[in-house]
Amino acid sequence: MIDATHYVVLSLILFCLGLIGVMVRRNFITVLMSLELMFNAVNLNLIAFSFRLSDLAGQVLAIFVITVAAAEAAIGLGLIIALVRLKDTVALDEADVMRG
Amino acid sequence: MEHYVPILVFSVVAITIPILLLLVTKVIRAGSPDPIKAEPYECGVEPTSFALDTRFSIRYYVIAVLFVVFDVETIFLFPWAVSFDRLALFGFVEMVIFLAILLVGYVYAWKRGALEWA
Amino acid sequence: MDFLVVNFAEILFYCLAVLTVAGGIGVLVFKSPVHAALSLLFTFVMVAALFLLLHAELLGAVQVLVYGGGIMVLFLFVIMLVNVKTLAPEQAFLSRLAPLAVVAGVLLGVLIAFALIFGVLVSGHGDGTALRTVGGAEIGNTEAIGAVLYTTYLVPFEIVSVVLLVAMIGAIVFGRRSAGLEIEGGGGES
Repeated sequence: MIDATHYVVLSLILFCLGLIGVMVRRNFITVLMSLELMFNAVNLNLIAFSFRLSDLAGQVLAIFVITVAAAEAAIGLGLIIALVRLKDTVALDEADVMRG
Repeated sequence: MEHYVPILVFSVVAITIPILLLLVTKVIRAGSPDPIKAEPYECGVEPTSFALDTRFSIRYYVIAVLFVVFDVETIFLFPWAVSFDRLALFGFVEMVIFLAILLVGYVYAWKRGALEWA
Repeated sequence: MDFLVVNFAEILFYCLAVLTVAGGIGVLVFKSPVHAALSLLFTFVMVAALFLLLHAELLGAVQVLVYGGGIMVLFLFVIMLVNVKTLAPEQAFLSRLAPLAVVAGVLLGVLIAFALIFGVLVSGHGDGTALRTVGGAEIGNTEAIGAVLYTTYLVPFEIVSVVLLVAMIGAIVFGRRSAGLEIEGGGGES
């Protein structure tokens, strides 16, 4: 069987990939995708520990994380639509004022 | 682990068949490529626009979000349905509360006309 | 052949891990949002397979249903909606914060080193039996989660419905037609 450490390192790599994506990419849509990548890394970590500790709490928490991720994606993509309506761009740097 | 063998067989068959079909048609078909053939068919009329040149209606976004929300709601219904015997009336009441809160959103969507395709 | 049979789980894990990371890198490097979205979908499916390896059968199904089925459709609809083809992908690639990625890379290295050094603390593994057992009786993972989710985690469960409600109402407000600024075109309508 696989050691739990392997899953932790994998989720770490996935999380940092998402983090780099959020910081590096300018396209709002890709930034949101990287955010989903980070959510996935968190879920993987939670479930790896749930398996390691033989505790269902991690899996239940992962379900809640998935739910919140779905809500976040819905609202985040709504923000993209609002940004496109206001500035006709998906570049995150363009959203630099508080007033439209 | 051995419980997944049927799923593995299923996946292999499901992946192989389309690849095989595409390969077979690629080998035996008579090819005479023409750029006009690649255009979308609009009942014989000259196409006015292509898929990526036009924007979708904003309604698709609202419909998609409603789909995702009720998709997630279903996720909570599955474990509830499976352990319904164990939870009994208590579980029934809490699921009714859960659904009632989501029903508020549904009624709001209905009242705001988000479900009407006009 | 013996090597394959004995180490089947390990080989499976490493294949899935490499594919997962490859999908994640694809999200970062593809310029076209559609390609990035498909790469992300691939990552989601691979992570779902990893969940199955970890005896989280319900979570694997939920991952495919919600991420693969729901969130991905949402992403692709919005990509179609904002019509990224006219928005010059070359200009919208790197942000001003790009140098920070170097910091993130260093952070990644340090964290992995930490995880490997102190990994002894989390090394070992459960056998997954506890993940499908309720009150001594071994049943399914779904039923076990149901037994915990609707009793111990009752309050978070009810609050989650409010989160979903907020998402729904927020989407309707964002998608309102009377917002004054209308996305023109509407070629998708018939």
